[in-house]
Amino acid sequence: MRRRRRALADLDQDIRDHLERETQENIERGMSPGEARSAALRKFGNVGLIEEQTRAVWRRPWVDQLRQDLLFAFRILRRAPGFTAIAVLTLAVGIGLNTAVFSVVNSVLLRPLEYPHPERLVWLGEYDPAVHHDMVMLSDAAAWRTNTRSYNGVASYSFQQAVIATSRTAFPVAAVFADGDFWSLTGATPALGRRFSPDEQHGVVISWDLFQRQFGEDLHVVGSAVTVDGGASTITGVLPKNFRFQFPRWWIARHPEPIEAYLTLPPAEAQHRAGQVVGSLKPEVSISQAIAELESLQRSLHPPNASQPNSRATLHVEMLYDQLTSGARRALSVLLAAGGLLLLMVSVNIASLLLARAASRRRELAIRLAIGAGRFRALRQILVESLTLAFAGGAAGLLLARWTILLLARIGPASIPRLAEASIDLRVLAFTFCITLAAGILFGIAPGFVLWRTNLHDALKEGARGIGGLFGLRIRRVLVAGELALALLLLTGAGLLLASFLRMTARPAAFTPEKILTMKMRLPPARYSRAMQQRYRDELLRRLASIPGVEAAGISVQPMFCCAPAFPADSDPNQTHLLHQNFATPGYFRALGMELRKGRWLTDSDKDGVILLNESMAWEAFGSDDPIGRTLKTPQPKVVVGVLADLRYTKLDAHVVPEIFLPFDQPMMFLFDIAVRAPNLSGIPAAVRREMAAIDASLPPYDVKTLQEALADSISSQRFNLFLLGSFALSAFVLALVGIYGVVTYSVAARMREIGVRMALGAQRRNVIGMVVREGVTLGLAGIVAGLAASYSFTRLMTSLLYGVKASDPRIFAAASAILAVTVLFASWWPARRAASIEPVIALRDE
Amino acid sequence: MSTKDDAERIELLQGTLDLLILRTLAPGPAHGHAIAKTIERQSEDVLQVEQGSLYPALHRLIKRGWISADEGTSENNRRAKFYRLTAKGRRQLHVETTKWEKLARAIANVLKPAQEGSV
Repeated sequence: MRRRRRALADLDQDIRDHLERETQENIERGMSPGEARSAALRKFGNVGLIEEQTRAVWRRPWVDQLRQDLLFAFRILRRAPGFTAIAVLTLAVGIGLNTAVFSVVNSVLLRPLEYPHPERLVWLGEYDPAVHHDMVMLSDAAAWRTNTRSYNGVASYSFQQAVIATSRTAFPVAAVFADGDFWSLTGATPALGRRFSPDEQHGVVISWDLFQRQFGEDLHVVGSAVTVDGGASTITGVLPKNFRFQFPRWWIARHPEPIEAYLTLPPAEAQHRAGQVVGSLKPEVSISQAIAELESLQRSLHPPNASQPNSRATLHVEMLYDQLTSGARRALSVLLAAGGLLLLMVSVNIASLLLARAASRRRELAIRLAIGAGRFRALRQILVESLTLAFAGGAAGLLLARWTILLLARIGPASIPRLAEASIDLRVLAFTFCITLAAGILFGIAPGFVLWRTNLHDALKEGARGIGGLFGLRIRRVLVAGELALALLLLTGAGLLLASFLRMTARPAAFTPEKILTMKMRLPPARYSRAMQQRYRDELLRRLASIPGVEAAGISVQPMFCCAPAFPADSDPNQTHLLHQNFATPGYFRALGMELRKGRWLTDSDKDGVILLNESMAWEAFGSDDPIGRTLKTPQPKVVVGVLADLRYTKLDAHVVPEIFLPFDQPMMFLFDIAVRAPNLSGIPAAVRREMAAIDASLPPYDVKTLQEALADSISSQRFNLFLLGSFALSAFVLALVGIYGVVTYSVAARMREIGVRMALGAQRRNVIGMVVREGVTLGLAGIVAGLAASYSFTRLMTSLLYGVKASDPRIFAAASAILAVTVLFASWWPARRAASIEPVIALRDE
Repeated sequence: MSTKDDAERIELLQGTLDLLILRTLAPGPAHGHAIAKTIERQSEDVLQVEQGSLYPALHRLIKRGWISADEGTSENNRRAKFYRLTAKGRRQLHVETTKWEKLARAIANVLKPAQEGSV
């Protein structure tokens, strides 16, 4: 392009130069100036023509033709604003939703971690079946770090809601205890100061945001003394602005806020705290070698016969990438597939509209062919037209995607890692470009093919008579049936998710989570001995109960590793059961509104040795026998005094786990779950905070929310999936409606004369209506049958996303089919009525 | 200017002009007018080149990368565009010359079969 401009820039000058020289020579040869000039011109030839020929050397014919095609395409599209608007709008929705989903996929699944050697990072976990995620005792993690040779480094981290206090102010932060080789694994280089070393104590590294927000970017903060949860510490460094905590965060559902402080792990904490562990494999070590080494180490640390509390936990080692994305991968691939289906439907729909237009444009095309346009050229014109349409839709889609991404990041569940980082980057743009191109070609092919086969002679003749004919209608019928099938597939998928969602949110009428306030608080073990703990607990309960309006208040703690092998004392000790242990004060049951099925409640006077079971546990351990008075070994023997109704009061997306409740008297546990019940919760949170500050101001409650909110948060990822798949299904449904309406209407218009003849010969209105509706219904049935077959084979891929409903649930299939069938009837009834109201005379004369 | 009658002049074969231009530029760069003159002179005015037709040919050669054009000053201190052979053009000149010689020999052989004495 540049070469061309440069070469042509002084062509004029060059030619003038040439002529002057020739003239000069002629003058020197003795001609008069005028004669010399005209001789030179004669010898040179036609200057204008030669300039034109020279320019032609540089011209690329396809560029010029493309420009022509584009201009023509614009003109055509402008001439049919209704069609263009519908096409661009549907494309924008299709492409926009796909782009948004892909940008999430890109951010969550495709972008590597921003840490050094992300491909070597491995997740070292022990799966705890009762809490459904991996936990490792930090003391174990330290042993792994010193006693293994497969890793360049092993880091452990555990979440901590901490309070940092300076001489002037105190504020809560989301923090992690970062132990082992945490800093070398993340590769963080502080913007100010330094990272703390693995053996250091009382060190704090803060994020740039915290540095800005709480310390006003005061450079003296590095090295300054602060207290963290009441303990003296020193801020050693400030992280750069772009550093992000990207390791898996199982706590993220409850704490989506970014990590703002990194703390050294106090030895007192390490004794009874569990956390997450990440290792960096040495380049020459395979993951299976690493697993083998860790397994043998773990066997020597915890000999299998010892009754360790975590003996039920199993090692779970995998590449960090897999661990990070495992939760989101299935859901995102389902959404991506659904998005693809939707775009396919959009394309099919536009192809169908284009086919209808192709009928009326046949004559125009025939004329162009007749006066000498090549068929390829004509085909290219059609393709350029559809691509123009596609890219207009693509551009609008990008705009829509920007909004959708913002929306997704807001409503999206925090449990999808790095969702908030989703944005339109180059890779997303490339994706959008590709799907736009694919869509454009896809819906350009059908009309192109039909026009390609156009018989010139017939087209011209027919055009003269002005009949559209049944041209391309057969292809359109197939397309619309396909569209219906796709819509049914999406509807079924969304229906299954909706059914799961309803199952999850269903609850007994007596359970009123909107009247229950929940929160957590944590006693720092370094400052709270057992006796102080007990005093704190009693004082807290007394103060909570004294708040006006509070009906009940209680505390429960759940040990990290809760799955002691439990079995009925009078049966086979090898038949153990997994269960969830929960130490609770009597007020806790009342606050949650639990129901007693049998036996009696726990009371304040109960000591260790008696337990309540939930129904699941009772059924699992004792079957249909009466469990009251029986003994359960955990392995200490406990006597069952009561059975509670099953209640999902923590996570809505998990089935009720077998659970036992123990009296809250002896545990050395520091993480309290507090529940407060009041008919009217307004004002209660402030009162609770006030009372807690009165006991120990450095220990504020966190995660203060109604149980309803907490439960809703626990299924935010299901809500997210439902929202997306639901909008796909809704769009698909509308498209199918438009599609079938369009085809039936068009076929009625094309058969106007036939209908007129029939009616003139005595056909009744209802015969005509029946005839038209029959056409729609035939199409609909074909689409529904195909859609059911497709749904049956594809919905099973969603199994892991469902709750309480089978992927092949016939009720959902039937409901989706029924919705679609009614739609088809409605969409064909309308044009049928119009057809039946034709005046035969007019229809016939119209010819 | 022309010293021969029109009847004696030969129209250029397609593509031959390109070869002539390349050959003319072989000794060194030249401006358009000089190229035209050289071709006329060296063909003893037998080859008829409408001088203007030189320009599309020159641009064709630039586009193919066989010659390049630079701004320069001519003998009488006037600005002019100078065309020069590129390395690629020089190779092409060699190829074209060989081809042309082969063709000329073949045609000559066809036209004078008797001298070979084959009958």
